[in-house]
Amino acid sequence: MGSLWLNMAWYDMSSEATMEFFPLTEPVLLILLSLAGQPRHGYSILKDVEQMSDGRVVLSTGTLYGALRRLLDEDWIERIEEQDSSRGRQAYRLTTRGRRNLQVEVGRMKQLTRLASLRIAGKQA
Amino acid sequence: MLTLSVYRHLLLLYPESHRDRFGEEMVSVFGEMQAEATGMGTGAQIGFYARETAGLMVGALREHWRSLGGGSIGLLFPRRRVTMHSAFRFPKATAVLMTIILAGVMVAIKQGEAIVASVPHVSQPVGTIHPVHSVLLGGIVQGIVFFYAAGMIGWAILFAMRRSGVHRLAETSGAPK
Repeated sequence: MGSLWLNMAWYDMSSEATMEFFPLTEPVLLILLSLAGQPRHGYSILKDVEQMSDGRVVLSTGTLYGALRRLLDEDWIERIEEQDSSRGRQAYRLTTRGRRNLQVEVGRMKQLTRLASLRIAGKQA
Repeated sequence: MLTLSVYRHLLLLYPESHRDRFGEEMVSVFGEMQAEATGMGTGAQIGFYARETAGLMVGALREHWRSLGGGSIGLLFPRRRVTMHSAFRFPKATAVLMTIILAGVMVAIKQGEAIVASVPHVSQPVGTIHPVHSVLLGGIVQGIVFFYAAGMIGWAILFAMRRSGVHRLAETSGAPK
């Protein structure tokens, strides 16, 4: 019980400016997770999202670049200039802010799954 | 099929700022995906092209909405929590759209008046209107009687089975057995 409130307090004290985005939708969460490991360009993100979701989430280019535009505008990700930019490729990576927000969201999900496990097991949380 | 050339043309649906920023990348990524889809079955290819076309249409609509000041549509990021905010304000685009709609209605009314004025009055006198017996009223009454009878029969069956609302209420409000 104590840790639950502690975690909720931690969650509530996170940046107010970013709270409006939580909870993240699954496509955005998967895009951020894809960029958490390493910088990627658009096609690589699409394939990684598809792989992570076992083929359940397949993004179109329109959806992907709508999300990337918003994440860039919110400074959650940034562009990296690639040496081979002749093919119109641009790589993206998480910013510090994006990584922190991703951690907040993952923490929220962990808390939720922990609570769900307790409730399913019939214990009070 | 959606070739690169067609895809480039569909990108024109997007606002210019979005095209300048992401256009070449989107074409490049689409080219890679299309090359991969070529080796797939017909069904998978149809799914790919349908998804891309729909994604472009929806994405363009979303970007135009955003560029009008309407904010991001909650497909990627969910809308804010569903609570009532006293400080809620319509987006700026709403006022513009409402003005356009109002102007359209005004123009339509003016056009209608102009058409009415331009058509000569050629209607013949109707003459005396005689009351005609309508079968509609009889049909409505018959329908009501039929459904009422059906309801009564159904209720009687439930009453006989002690499953009617009266019995249920008695069971609920009665003392525990």
